[in-house]
Amino acid sequence: MTPTALFLAQAGADATVSTGEAISFWVLAPIAVAGALGMIFARNAVHSALWLVLTMLSLGMLYLIQQAPFLGFTQIIVYTGAIMMLFLFVLMMVGRESSDSVVEVLRGQRLAAAILGIGVAGVLAGALTRALADVTPAPPLDPWTPEGGAAGGLGRLIFSDYLFPFELTSALLITAAMGAMVLAFTDRHGKTGKRSQRELVEARFRGEYERPSPKPGPGVFATSNSVATPALLPDGSVAPESLSELIESTSAAKLSGERKQVAGDTPQPDAHSLTGSEEQSEERENS
Amino acid sequence: MNVFLAQQADRIELPAIDYAAILPMLIILGAACIGVLFEAFLPKHQRWPGQVVLTLLAIAAAGVALGAYVGGSPAEGTTTLSGTLSIDRPALFLWGTLLALALGAVLLIADRSIEPGGAFVAQAGIAPGTVQDRAQVGSTGMQTEVFPLALFALGGMMAFCSANDLLTMFIALEVLSLPLYLMCGLARRRRLLSQEAAVKYFLLGAFASAFFLYGLALLYGYAGSVKLADIANATAGTDRSDTLLFAGLGLLMVGLLFKGSVGPFHTWTPDVYQGAPTPVTAFMAACTKVAAFGGMLRVLTVAFESTSWEWRGVLWGVAIVSMLIGAVLGLTQTDVKRMIAYSSIAHAGFLLIGTMALTEDGLSGTLFYLLAYGFTTLAAFGVISLVRDSTGEATHLSAWAGLAKRSPLLAAVFTFLLLALAGIPLTSGFVGKFVVFSAALSDGMAPLVVIALVFSAVAAFFYLRVVVLMYFSEPAADGPTVSVPGAFTTAAITLGVAVTLLLGVLPAFALDWAGAGGFAIS
Repeated sequence: MTPTALFLAQAGADATVSTGEAISFWVLAPIAVAGALGMIFARNAVHSALWLVLTMLSLGMLYLIQQAPFLGFTQIIVYTGAIMMLFLFVLMMVGRESSDSVVEVLRGQRLAAAILGIGVAGVLAGALTRALADVTPAPPLDPWTPEGGAAGGLGRLIFSDYLFPFELTSALLITAAMGAMVLAFTDRHGKTGKRSQRELVEARFRGEYERPSPKPGPGVFATSNSVATPALLPDGSVAPESLSELIESTSAAKLSGERKQVAGDTPQPDAHSLTGSEEQSEERENS
Repeated sequence: MNVFLAQQADRIELPAIDYAAILPMLIILGAACIGVLFEAFLPKHQRWPGQVVLTLLAIAAAGVALGAYVGGSPAEGTTTLSGTLSIDRPALFLWGTLLALALGAVLLIADRSIEPGGAFVAQAGIAPGTVQDRAQVGSTGMQTEVFPLALFALGGMMAFCSANDLLTMFIALEVLSLPLYLMCGLARRRRLLSQEAAVKYFLLGAFASAFFLYGLALLYGYAGSVKLADIANATAGTDRSDTLLFAGLGLLMVGLLFKGSVGPFHTWTPDVYQGAPTPVTAFMAACTKVAAFGGMLRVLTVAFESTSWEWRGVLWGVAIVSMLIGAVLGLTQTDVKRMIAYSSIAHAGFLLIGTMALTEDGLSGTLFYLLAYGFTTLAAFGVISLVRDSTGEATHLSAWAGLAKRSPLLAAVFTFLLLALAGIPLTSGFVGKFVVFSAALSDGMAPLVVIALVFSAVAAFFYLRVVVLMYFSEPAADGPTVSVPGAFTTAAITLGVAVTLLLGVLPAFALDWAGAGGFAIS
């Protein structure tokens, strides 16, 4: 907002503000302020970011109106286009539902923040007062000179004084692109990559795996739904493959008990009984 | 805006380009771009031979171009590309050093005989520890992008040494750093350690770059220009704000000292040296140090000579802290690669003493020291890559016990290199320390030289400890084996050892070349 205020301050001296400029200022400035306020007060982080986009767009427009086309377009392309998109990407990655924690992590953080905030506000107010009171307006800049700060002058500098650093930047960009590829690209369908479904089926029937079909799942019965419960084969015997090898590392006594129980080797309780097994009723008694 | 568009701009004159002078750097950067195209268009099995041939050819061609230019180059140096690059005698010496060291490092990178497939992972994109990762352990492929990355880093280092303004220097700094960050994370064995090293190096390097950039901005505010010569003019008696000058110089130096792994800005060094694949560590230890100190010499000599009274005290402190950290913490290390890392921090302190001298002797001494130290470190890391057990390199010191009984030749070579690092006569390390310290003495830094001598004695202790361990301990039954190196690694180690010996016995020609002329001031 400072450039605008500056510009308005100059209006009194020898520069004039045309009607169109005044109109666009009074349209854009409230929008920018509203966007800034919206950014602070929005509850949702994504809304907050979008409000900020609005502010940045109006600032970019204001720059354009004040004959700083390069600055204006940079504001729109770099800030609104690139940086805000990065913001949004991060917000989406973090999850748009997640909200800030209001717990004060650093001791006295709020107090320090408040003091510093007041300080910054004071500095801004001081600078604005001075800008409105006694600043001699600068002459309009020639955008074709390097001092003009517009695209023409910058282009001239890039292709004359800073030709080498500019060209060297290309090495940087190539490295960055190649680095991203090296770190992120995996050859999924190569020798070491993931197999397609067809290759997997063929490999299974060629005997590279234990058996062509998936292993049977664990048994689920009225008395138990544990993964440690084995499945039963059609003849009533236990299917050993239905148990994960990990189960072996769990309590062996319990497991063999359950196996016996499923195989029907243990004395069964009454069909209407609520207890699953003797073990469970023992546990209940103990506790 | 229409008003501006209507204005007809006069033609922009392209700056004069002295192609003969910058040809070595153009060859390296151009070959890096061709290497990228190789990656895109060559089938997988042809990439490794293609890249190796291209990279070695490029370095050789750049060396030839450099040799051809040195003969007829003006003694006072020249600036080209509207003053962004300064091709003077120190820059040419540094380029030659960088090319020779990079040749050795590329030979180490290209070696596939010690470890089937080389020291680099076949596919860096696969997460460590997954099923796919276990499957790729047996594969003999490697990420051949390492070669163009190394060339880009080398090109960046060459630009960094000859950059005559801070903006070019900053971009060259990034060009040399970015490939190094990447290459650190591509180790075949102990991939998590390697990736951790890469992340640490990247984050701390980004901080250092930010420091450099902040310093650059402040100095621009001070002098109104990023050119070193303009900053020198501005410092030579003006009423401008000294706060801007010294804050800017301080921040700038933090960025440079970080790259040179000096003193309190060294924290990344041990972890990154340990985690990175050993050939990359060799490249980093040798070439980055050359580039960083080359840049530092130029900045301090060209831009800040007239203010040396103010900043020299601070650099005294930094040099002492660096030697202290390197020598004392080096004593406590149990890993060979970390030990060499701390040794490099101590050496950075010694180098800084020569850098501060700002005399002709100081310049030539520091340049010579960089050359000598680079070759010794390169060969040392080459030797480290040969001592292996089933999990890869056996870098723990206990594994090195009694190595002389297993492989007398390797132990003898490593002993020689450690003696060179310690600075024993008849090695290049002695001559390097001698010229740097005598330059510092004649520039009135006697107390600092005494301190440096004390610390080099302390540092000699931990080199000798390894020697004693190798010769006077019984080898462990399940100790590591010493691989028979392939042609590439043999060539690299031989190069390093031969140069270390040669510079120790006949240093005169290299000293003459290092002292051939000063920086071009313009």
